[in-house]
Amino acid sequence: MREEMQPLMKTVLLVALGVFLYTRIANGTLYYYINERFALFTVIGVVGLLLLGMSYRWRTHQDSHDDHAHEHHEHEHHNHLGHSHGLTWTGVFILAMPILLGLSTTPQPLGAAALANRDVTLSMNESALPVGLRSREKAATDKNIMDWWHDFRSSPTAGEELIGQAVRVSGFVFRDERFGQEHFLVTRFVVSCCVADANVLGLLVKVPASMAETMTHIADDQWVEVQGIYINERVDGWHMPVVDATQILPIAVPEQPYLYP
Amino acid sequence: MGRMAKDKFVGELTTHELTTPALSPIQPNRWLRPLLLFGLLILILAAIFGDIITTGGGRLYVAQRFQTFVTIFLGIFIEAVPFLLLGSIVSGLLAVFVDQSMLDRYLPRRAVPAAFSGAALGLLFPVCECGVVPVTRRLYEKGLPMSMGVAFLLAAPVINPIVMVSTYAAFGWSAVLWGRIGFSFAVAAIIGLIFHVAHPHKVLLPAVHQVHTDACNHHPPAPQQALWGRFQQALTTAGDDFLDMARYLIMGSLLAATMQTVIPQTVLLAIGQGAITSVLAMQALAFILSVCSTVDAFLALAFSGVFTTGSIITFLTFGPMVDIKSALMFLGVFQRRIVFYLIVLPLLLTLLIGVYWNLNIGV
Repeated sequence: MREEMQPLMKTVLLVALGVFLYTRIANGTLYYYINERFALFTVIGVVGLLLLGMSYRWRTHQDSHDDHAHEHHEHEHHNHLGHSHGLTWTGVFILAMPILLGLSTTPQPLGAAALANRDVTLSMNESALPVGLRSREKAATDKNIMDWWHDFRSSPTAGEELIGQAVRVSGFVFRDERFGQEHFLVTRFVVSCCVADANVLGLLVKVPASMAETMTHIADDQWVEVQGIYINERVDGWHMPVVDATQILPIAVPEQPYLYP
Repeated sequence: MGRMAKDKFVGELTTHELTTPALSPIQPNRWLRPLLLFGLLILILAAIFGDIITTGGGRLYVAQRFQTFVTIFLGIFIEAVPFLLLGSIVSGLLAVFVDQSMLDRYLPRRAVPAAFSGAALGLLFPVCECGVVPVTRRLYEKGLPMSMGVAFLLAAPVINPIVMVSTYAAFGWSAVLWGRIGFSFAVAAIIGLIFHVAHPHKVLLPAVHQVHTDACNHHPPAPQQALWGRFQQALTTAGDDFLDMARYLIMGSLLAATMQTVIPQTVLLAIGQGAITSVLAMQALAFILSVCSTVDAFLALAFSGVFTTGSIITFLTFGPMVDIKSALMFLGVFQRRIVFYLIVLPLLLTLLIGVYWNLNIGV
């Protein structure tokens, strides 16, 4: 790439990355990627990228002819402070990757497709939660999937005292052949930092015969709100918390699709 | 930088012109292009095999897989950008406001003090594994001793207040917390000591180490220049550093996201109990996941019921030192051969620690 184009190109890249991040904040899809705890850092990131981008002094073609000596000197002085940061077209392509890939697909949170690579064995995922942050008291219908698992795991009677409580949880539908036709999992990802560390957490839902017909219209990945009663069941050899559903409603993807420990 | 200051330097132009060609040898093209092709190849393989390996083949399955890949890639990237940015700004400020003679005066030169103080330097610069790379590179340009830089690079992502607090939040006062801090310090210091005997020109990229042997560098950076001008220069340098490092970060995130989309975690998790295999599995997981060191403790907690304690400590010690994205970022500082050592040495040392812990201290 031509020397005099470098500063301008660097500005364009930095500002473009900043604007790209800003659009993810502005349209509310930032939480598809990271834990909300880190949202402030992303804001700092946007401001920083714009600031760095604007710090470059661009040279027009005319300028570089006018003070050719300065041009050389500027280059030299730059080396004196650091090393040469020549930007190649390959470099520009790589740096534009986040934007290109980001715009090539509609933003979507992790869903059932990502489960294929993750461990869905329910029993071992719950411990992903730091002890101090979990011990909050909530009304039964405010509890999310993480809270129910926590209560189940910390229960001295293996969940006996929870039986009969009203449950209202939301998540996306995931079917697993191990659990048969009359069950599905209402599932959420638990994200501590960014989606790279996502853990799966699912609560089994028992579908009553009256709703079997409705469920045939609900595909995997569809977000649902499940209302029902807490029961314990032995499924696939595991003693597990199960929701005996009374109502299953399709809902839109929530603003914060993940649970945060 | 201001015009007046610029004019003052014009006289030096002729001597420096000679050195200019030697100063731009990073040439990312040489290895970035094959790497890019490699990445694309994996991507294609992922798309093909992803569909065959897994059972739930819906009609848009490949597209969904791609979507998952993009989400994970952007997750790692968006999470890392602010930290890399802060590291770059620190680096830019160091470049402009810290003079090499200052470092010469205060830094220990002898092997042991240099390696130990390098391993503890993270307490002063609380940077994570993304931010530490540009800062280390800048310090090397200022003439930081070899051993100190390596120890700093490896230890700082753990030996810093933020990470210590998050590890405490996850594990409390436990063997895992102390093991993580102690072993990170020890491993970083040992590897730093090993590098004490190395010559900078055999370790660092030419662009990094030539700068401080350049006669030009002995001039302080135009102290008469207005503060604002120097500040702007610092930001521009930070921008250069960020763009330079972001290339490696992006390549690393692409690879990490690909691995996460292709390799089923169950394969690794199935071997959680063996004294040796569990440690190897957690090292592989740490390398592939490329999770930021500030939160990897919470992730490790998720495995602590299933995996051996030795393997958890290894995960928390090895992961922050080396993972896919940081290993790629090392390529912006060190020669390829050295990057290989910087991956293998921590790998072997932490493997040793994890296995020893499992066999002799407790599982």
